[in-house]
Amino acid sequence: MSRRNYQPLPLHRMNWSDLSEDQVAQALQPAISGPTAPSSPSAVLTGQRLKIITDDGPTLEYDFRTARDLTLSENGGPAIATGYGALPSRNLVLISHMIPGTQRGYNLVVDTHHGLATVFEVSFSEYAKQETAAAEAAKRAPQFRMGRRNREVMRQVWFGVVDDGRSKPAERHVWTNRLEGKGIHWTQDDGTELLEFYLSIISSNFNELTRTGGELTFCSPSDYVMIDDHQFIYSRIESEFSGAFTLQVIDLFNMTQKGVRLGLTEKDLLEYRLFTGNGKITGQIATFEVFGNNADTRGARRVYRPIETFEIMTDAEAREQAINNAHAFGDGAGSGSSNMGGYKSERVTKFAGRKMVVRTDNGGPALDYDFVDDKKLRWRYSGDADWREAWYEMYEPDEDLFFFAHFLDAEYPRSCAMVAFDMKNGLTTVVKGTTGTPYRNNETSVSHHFGTFQTAGGPTPPLYVRHGWTDEMVGECVTWNYQRGNPGLTSMHFYTTPQSYSWVIFNPDGSGGMQWSSPGWYSKLRDGVYIMAWIEEACNGTLGVICYNSRTMHDAGFGYHLGTRGLTLNVIGARARHAGRFNIQQYVGIQA
Amino acid sequence: MDASNANTSRRAFFLNGGAALGAGVTATGVSLAGTAQVPQQQPPSQPATDVEAREQLACAQDREAIRQLHYRFVQLIEQRNYEAVAELFDAQATLALSGESASGRAGIAHLLSVGYREQTVAALHEAYRGNARQHQDCITLEANRLGARALWHVDVAIGTPLQGDCTAAQMARLQGLLAERRWEAGRLQARYVKRGEDWKLAVLEYHPHIT
Repeated sequence: MSRRNYQPLPLHRMNWSDLSEDQVAQALQPAISGPTAPSSPSAVLTGQRLKIITDDGPTLEYDFRTARDLTLSENGGPAIATGYGALPSRNLVLISHMIPGTQRGYNLVVDTHHGLATVFEVSFSEYAKQETAAAEAAKRAPQFRMGRRNREVMRQVWFGVVDDGRSKPAERHVWTNRLEGKGIHWTQDDGTELLEFYLSIISSNFNELTRTGGELTFCSPSDYVMIDDHQFIYSRIESEFSGAFTLQVIDLFNMTQKGVRLGLTEKDLLEYRLFTGNGKITGQIATFEVFGNNADTRGARRVYRPIETFEIMTDAEAREQAINNAHAFGDGAGSGSSNMGGYKSERVTKFAGRKMVVRTDNGGPALDYDFVDDKKLRWRYSGDADWREAWYEMYEPDEDLFFFAHFLDAEYPRSCAMVAFDMKNGLTTVVKGTTGTPYRNNETSVSHHFGTFQTAGGPTPPLYVRHGWTDEMVGECVTWNYQRGNPGLTSMHFYTTPQSYSWVIFNPDGSGGMQWSSPGWYSKLRDGVYIMAWIEEACNGTLGVICYNSRTMHDAGFGYHLGTRGLTLNVIGARARHAGRFNIQQYVGIQA
Repeated sequence: MDASNANTSRRAFFLNGGAALGAGVTATGVSLAGTAQVPQQQPPSQPATDVEAREQLACAQDREAIRQLHYRFVQLIEQRNYEAVAELFDAQATLALSGESASGRAGIAHLLSVGYREQTVAALHEAYRGNARQHQDCITLEANRLGARALWHVDVAIGTPLQGDCTAAQMARLQGLLAERRWEAGRLQARYVKRGEDWKLAVLEYHPHIT
């Protein structure tokens, strides 16, 4: 295992420079020499000429003069000299180059056996133009909250043929879902080590162990193209982060990759390099399309931009909503079944009229409870004289294991307590959510507290035994169906590391769609029963906490959210299916 | 001209035509609010004069333009290109689809681009398919060929939007997901107006088929 260098900020917290077009042009200047590579450049194309005709796209005529230099004629235009790099992979050749005097370039995968080619035309400083055009078409204002994103690589994919003067094949490389559900651990020739998970047909999840330390995984819009049953093109653009473009040819026979990475680093320096790597399958989970759906008619790829669309609130706005527009469980009317509570279980009412004290370790919350009735409780920090009233809802995710939540409105920033208590052993876990982070005042933050409780008729709690952190869920993929109906609302959770998780929203045809990821926390209450918490950082800001019973494949949980429509505490109740597991525990968590 | 009085004349042939089967088949006019009648198919007649021939050609061209306008509407709805859908309507048009209605092109654009796209309506039309009654489809031109009515028998995919504004629901909506999607048989009743050389939708109403 290579050394881990953790980054002080995760990708979604970095302040990526909003470079001008001129600054991007300056940064790209070295690119005309072609990509760098750890080994000497491949001469596989030296002395060859190649004409690529794409469907509805460019015609590219190449003359590869050396292993590093080529001339290109686009659409019959004048020949332009530029540097390039190539990597062969069986019958395929990956070619990458930029075009001097522009911010454009081509990344091609030429299939010499079938006479086919797939062309990724890439460009910088194009986002603003495309966003402006899209906004005009949709009669809306263009979104430039995160700047004009000149650093972000945009791509256009063209399928075509190699014109060798003979009859042209009718076939083409095609979009595919044949990588969907697969995870691979890659070790690249420059020492880069990363985990990739292809859980969608338009997005992917990656954990760069050497570059980011591997605490969190991240998601980016992606493309998947099928060459044949064992060779694929995979590409992603880290759209909400650096904007870098990665393309690789994956060979599932010998588990190798041949790729190129093009973009600007966090220091705004050009990263343009070829790489090779060796892979190991970490797992293959279920997919949910009907049989016969191979996603070859995938259509346009939507880019999920949660950072761009996150609603930003001022301190005053956040305070106003948190204090004067706070509603827990519909103020006693109930959470209803909208959002994520469509399969909530029966509410527990039997603690009405009872009292309970909760004590957590190491100076964590100490709370006294008086359950006034089945919806309202009184609470106070132990030692305080005054009680405060709050709406609550309580559920029983496992036998005699209860989970309830309520606002903590004694101080500002406002908080909530989500309390799991086990009537079989006297243990409790308190998840405390609070509004505000150093980055956004309408995000939430979280702390976990393990301890005990006492109530009349309850067990005598232990002195030393506690609920605790766990990595047992790492690698698991579980679908959660939140709303009734077909298709209803379903998300697939992927528990990616002991500190993070990711979710996938399905497309209408059951294929994996858009993804995002967040920090996550996992604690164990019983065998097969866990509390999982996440914060939708740089996305929505919500704190979600579920108590997941892997025997019943059901959960009970709560969502805590601050937005322009108020501070809310609502129920989560969903039905699960196990989608599979990736064997990744050896790569994540504490590594030394 | 009252199209219902012209069924037996040669001129009526020019003005009426089965939409699904093309210009070679005549069709009776239909009541916009009522049940469609089965068209009485008649053999095509030959134009007696050049004037009639030109008029027949113009009528055929108008019917074809209206058919294409309808197909465009269907295509754009399925593509969720709602802004382009609104452009198919006349400035003062009205739209009524399964409990959701709007008046004027701006109102229709708002209903579709906000209500449909952001799924704030109670039900939305996602797609149309011709159904077993499509042989009853018809287009009836007004005598001056500046207005027309049509009846389109369709199966419509009616979507029930997802509830809530949690992140998962927001992402699902971006991908076009719905809580429920079902097919229902019905008919689109339309009135068209000609603006210059272009036909526009003036009224479009959907009525479920009641058995």
